[in-house]
Amino acid sequence: MSAVAAKPQAGGAMNPTAMGVGVIMLLVLLGICWYVSPGLGLMALIGVVIGGVLIGFGTHFVPVGGAPAAMGQAPGIATGVAMLAAGAGLAGLFGGAWAADQGLLVATITGGVGGALMMAITCMMVNFIYVFGMGIPSASGKVAKDPITGDTQAEFKSQGTEGHGLPFVSFVGGVTGGFLGGAGGTLIYLQLLSLYEAKLPALMGVPAAQVMPIAVATAGMFAVGMFLVNAVLTAYNITGTIEGPHDPKFKRWPRSIVASAVASALCGLFAILIVAM
Amino acid sequence: MTVKVEVIEGGIPHNKIMIAGLVTTLVCLYLTYLNVLTNTEVFAFFGGLAVVAALIWGSHTIKVLCSYGIGTGVPSAGMIAFGSGVIAMLFATKFGLAAPIVALVIAAVIGFILGYISNNILNMKIPAMVQALTEMAIVGALTLMGFAAMMTGGFTFEGLTTGTISILGMTVNSNQISFIGGGLIAVAFLLGAIAIQHPFNACLGPGWKQDRMLMLTAECGFLSMIVAAIMSFALISAGAAIISLIVAIVGWAYSYSQYICLSKRDAAAWLDAKQIPEMEGH
Repeated sequence: MSAVAAKPQAGGAMNPTAMGVGVIMLLVLLGICWYVSPGLGLMALIGVVIGGVLIGFGTHFVPVGGAPAAMGQAPGIATGVAMLAAGAGLAGLFGGAWAADQGLLVATITGGVGGALMMAITCMMVNFIYVFGMGIPSASGKVAKDPITGDTQAEFKSQGTEGHGLPFVSFVGGVTGGFLGGAGGTLIYLQLLSLYEAKLPALMGVPAAQVMPIAVATAGMFAVGMFLVNAVLTAYNITGTIEGPHDPKFKRWPRSIVASAVASALCGLFAILIVAM
Repeated sequence: MTVKVEVIEGGIPHNKIMIAGLVTTLVCLYLTYLNVLTNTEVFAFFGGLAVVAALIWGSHTIKVLCSYGIGTGVPSAGMIAFGSGVIAMLFATKFGLAAPIVALVIAAVIGFILGYISNNILNMKIPAMVQALTEMAIVGALTLMGFAAMMTGGFTFEGLTTGTISILGMTVNSNQISFIGGGLIAVAFLLGAIAIQHPFNACLGPGWKQDRMLMLTAECGFLSMIVAAIMSFALISAGAAIISLIVAIVGWAYSYSQYICLSKRDAAAWLDAKQIPEMEGH
């Protein structure tokens, strides 16, 4: 069976009942937050959920090759989904945190650019190593033609492999995924930071200037924790490797959106309760 | 996706490890409360022992989960354990003396819902998933709490966010010199996350042996404890930090030598080769 004709695996099926339960859970969690801390807390939680969904959706774009890619037998970057998502997201988070006092929009886009830059550099160096180090061309195994450039893939693909290297569409997917992931991570951080800056001084009874390190560190740790939870859940959704936006597995993203929204709402609720209770 | 690749043959059953790990961790965490009762900081090293106990339990949980082909690599399990654990742990520190129990309950709730999401919404359909994610969130939360207790001598929000700094001979309170404000929590996070996922990642395969993997976990735990003990010099008195450091080094040396013995036992054949001698006169 050629890899081009390969059907999506059985794990791609949706479970409508569970999706419904997930949406209800999301609404219940938002409702609890509205009850405990209407206004500032609810706004922060909505921002956190949007950030989590961006991370979950963005991770689907990243070309993840895993162990087969390390042997040049599958396209993508030779590591796992969780590692790549964490790398792109944390690079974006650090980039966005520097711009935190320049406003929500500027900081979120800065975070996205940070993540995209990290993925662009990673994708380029991966291709350098594949082409000049291992001597293999870039070819996708999932599509006959590159959807962006229109280049045919089959003549460059070695027999018995799923494709190899990092075709142009995967590169673009990696940068897009890095942008979405970095922006999502930064959004979570900014929402929690503004909430903690507003609430922690009164809670701890210390001046606002003193509380800054605590607010930054707590918001940062919560953002990292939520980022990893979302990245691993997306990894479970993809189960293994994905080539990028042209891969059949990309169609699984609706499941991941619901999962990320519920998980972010759950984790975000506890992050908000720490100052709301 | 529900093919079980390996089965546990012999050894201690998982439930026994889970109960032993949970009880030991909680007891050790509460033993650090002796610091408050006796007004010293010398009992901080019990936090490190809680870390080792929790990690041993957690690495066996990872073994149970990753025996099913989840297709995402073993490290992702360690990441989700601590990603969900840190949220429960930070929230629980608000509850003073009840913090370890609250961390356990909150982490169990978070882990259970994450397990439901993975199994049903994401259609993983792995029998051990819900229980394993619940256990791992608890392990993550209690491990971080153990590190916190070891570095600061306590596990309350006030203790973790305030420290003292001496300026011109005067001692003033500062939020910057603290477990959370100083960012030590980030180091503790990764020390634990790497220690929990490494043992199964290193020992998996047809030659997997339970005692060898658990000994490697203890070794990784004590190695993390050495680093945490060095960092604790910044926050607690030098005497207490030295006690932690000595306990960590002794524990590490013992578990490392035991692990080497077990590795030699399980190896098909091993050769105690010497280094290539340096040639003289050329």
